[in-house]
Amino acid sequence: MTRSFGHQLQRSILFLASAIFLCSFRKIPSTGLRGLRYFCAVPVPLLKLDAVEKSFAGVQALKLIQLEIAAGEILGLIGENGAGKSTLINILSGVHAPDGGVIAWQQQSVKFNSPHDALAAGIATIHQELAFFGHLSVAENMLLGEPWPRRCWRGVNWNQLHAEAERRLAHFELSIPTRRFFNELSSAQKQEVAIARALSRQARLLILDEPTASLSESEVERLFAHLQRLRHAGVAILYVSHRLDEIVKLTDRVAVLRDGELVATYPTAEADVNRMVRDMVGRPLDQVYPHKRRGAFGSPLLELKAATRAGMFRDISFSVRGGEIVGLAGLVGAGRSELARAVYGLYSLDSGEMRLNGKPWSPRNSHQSVTSGLVYIPEERKRQGLVLDHSVGASISIGFSDLLTRWGLVPHAAETRRVERALESFAIRTTGPAQAVGTLSGGNQQKTILARWLDRYPQIIILDEPTRGVDVGAKTEIHALIDRLAGEGRAVLLISSDLPEVLGMSDRLLVMHRGSISTELRGDDMTQENVILAASGLYQEAKGTDR
Amino acid sequence: MKQGPYSRFLVQRLVFLFVGNLLLLLAIRLLLRAGGSFADVLKRCGPDVAPVILAGLGMTGIIFTGAIDLSIGSVIVVAGTVFGILVQSGFGPPVCFGASLIASWSLSMLNGLLVRSLKIPAIIITLAGLTFYRGAALILAEISIPNFGGNISIPDEAFHSPGKLYAGRILFVALAAALLWEAFAKTPRRWLALGSSEEACRLLGLAPGRILQSAFFASGIFLGLAALIFVTRVQYIEPARLALSFELQVIGAVVLGGTNIFGGEGSFAGTALGAFFLYFTSQVLTYAEVNPYFQEAVTGAIIIGVIGLDCALHRRRKLLEELA
Repeated sequence: MTRSFGHQLQRSILFLASAIFLCSFRKIPSTGLRGLRYFCAVPVPLLKLDAVEKSFAGVQALKLIQLEIAAGEILGLIGENGAGKSTLINILSGVHAPDGGVIAWQQQSVKFNSPHDALAAGIATIHQELAFFGHLSVAENMLLGEPWPRRCWRGVNWNQLHAEAERRLAHFELSIPTRRFFNELSSAQKQEVAIARALSRQARLLILDEPTASLSESEVERLFAHLQRLRHAGVAILYVSHRLDEIVKLTDRVAVLRDGELVATYPTAEADVNRMVRDMVGRPLDQVYPHKRRGAFGSPLLELKAATRAGMFRDISFSVRGGEIVGLAGLVGAGRSELARAVYGLYSLDSGEMRLNGKPWSPRNSHQSVTSGLVYIPEERKRQGLVLDHSVGASISIGFSDLLTRWGLVPHAAETRRVERALESFAIRTTGPAQAVGTLSGGNQQKTILARWLDRYPQIIILDEPTRGVDVGAKTEIHALIDRLAGEGRAVLLISSDLPEVLGMSDRLLVMHRGSISTELRGDDMTQENVILAASGLYQEAKGTDR
Repeated sequence: MKQGPYSRFLVQRLVFLFVGNLLLLLAIRLLLRAGGSFADVLKRCGPDVAPVILAGLGMTGIIFTGAIDLSIGSVIVVAGTVFGILVQSGFGPPVCFGASLIASWSLSMLNGLLVRSLKIPAIIITLAGLTFYRGAALILAEISIPNFGGNISIPDEAFHSPGKLYAGRILFVALAAALLWEAFAKTPRRWLALGSSEEACRLLGLAPGRILQSAFFASGIFLGLAALIFVTRVQYIEPARLALSFELQVIGAVVLGGTNIFGGEGSFAGTALGAFFLYFTSQVLTYAEVNPYFQEAVTGAIIIGVIGLDCALHRRRKLLEELA
């Protein structure tokens, strides 16, 4: 009896040992872990970067990055613009090859020569600049990289293709007509299609670069729920965002990049927003907006009375006085930029009138505006504001070179002097006036545009989203600059979707809703809640029931 | 809302051109008072318009990708010269036809390969090809034909069958194939994708070079058919003057058909309708006895007028939709 029990024990131990031994050679498919490690629950990184570096034209964009992501982990990646986040993403998604270091993917050293390789390995990326085809349908956009359903005679089965796309969208609770052309979608829908496309790729690692830029609150919630679900299914997620609240809410761990170096990684639970900001900028940040509200303003420099343009805005009346910063808030598509462009002379009014410096104002084109002392700094600086290949010097001097022109020629010495003065007074960080504007960081690009116009001493400045995509440090500098402009007695109209910014900077706040100004907020009424209510057209209603 | 592979802009352009073509035919009908039967006009239209449409179908595919091929006229010259040389050397019709097809197809492939490997925009490569191929054809003729006097005569009627007898049928079959292919194949959609964003193609894991090459491949086949009809239609093949400014005629038809010259949007059907429109316009001018010196200017004005009117209508409708 004892002997047979001992015998049994011996046999079962032997059996167990051999089972574990055998298992240790097998990969467990859902985790990519070797068997034994799976049993021992030792987390093995899905992706491991060892001393990865990359430089562009002699500038070190990434310095010896050491980073690990485990399966089922959400890693937040934060850093100022120009810190190297995009470079890192591009290396992981196969757009660029690293100059040195080792990328270990599922414990094997890999080299991605193209985005195709990375996708095939199981790394799907949603890039910040959405990569899509405007004149193809939603379904085609989603499935172009995969085989399409065919009929028996090899023709594309369009119905099945659309059904497949619909199925994938429905899986993420989206109902977007798949036969619509991509460029007919709203920007939120475009982003959702991008997300659905990447998520349905069955990736092991999902990289998201600023995926929430044009999503509303509820859409963000839905995205986060999906990401959590994927995480539980063992997908690793690299989440890149400027929005620190999202990082805190979503991620397990945070990695901070600064000037191409990985300065810190810590579990999100141990971090607060202040620590992250400190690590990002390398110094404590003054969150206070520099603008002190002043009581006394000059005469009205810009006045609008019942200005209307069909399909864009209607019945707009307001004035901006010298030394005053007037904020213009509202949802995307409420007509703020259109209004600004009409004032600048890019659109004509259907009815109503405008006055500039008390005189009737009906600009025929933007040149007339600039020479009359009104400048507009557009929303999309890369597309509307700058020629990215031009030098910083040329980008600045284009704003005032006509003032210097003698006999059709621009005196070089005077131009250089002015450009250098502008670089200095706006603290634009460049290697010199000859550097291409496209290689500057977002903040410095924005300052370059400001510098271009401000040498003309314009009296009225319209800023459209001046700090979008600009990092925290440069943001403060731009805010200080705006404050300086108002302090010099100029009128500033500030369009911004960044609520703290528009609240902190403005003396008065106009809120647009569906093409008209729904509310004007002053003093203590200027709160985030009020702005949100007004932007959705509910302010009067809400206040009415309060009283 | 159901929507096929054509955007509303394209559908409108197609309808516009279709109606325009019917009106032009009606005009021709009315102008045919003294003699000349309407059936003859229609019969003649096959051989006359076939080269433009066939070359246009190929060009449409290339323009889909955002590239362009300016050398097609000269490619046809090379095909014609090869054809002429072989005829003179006593080869039979099938060999000569086959050789001219293969010559134009391989030059089109060569264009694609050069654009791909040198990474120079297609417009530059094919602009060089425009003069180079014609020059090469002249050199070829000079070397292979004793006493080459500037033209090669093709007297035997057996060599004229594709251009004179079967042009309409070749056109019909090729056009039907192209339209079916457009409706049921993935490749044209890839070309459009490449034309709308090369970066997006790369990020999606597609190979832009291969897509571009496939456009030149398909264009080569259509161009070969166009060349075949073109060179078998004439009695003399004159390398220095054959198919002069043919590429502009073809690009004109493509653009008139609603294809975006920068790629990413367009249709094969539009190209065919555009080519017919241009051809019928010239016929109307001839029958209306407009001074030939005026004809070209009038044609140009009509192109501008049609595209301008169509775009204005489109803008107006978009505006109305926004207001509604």
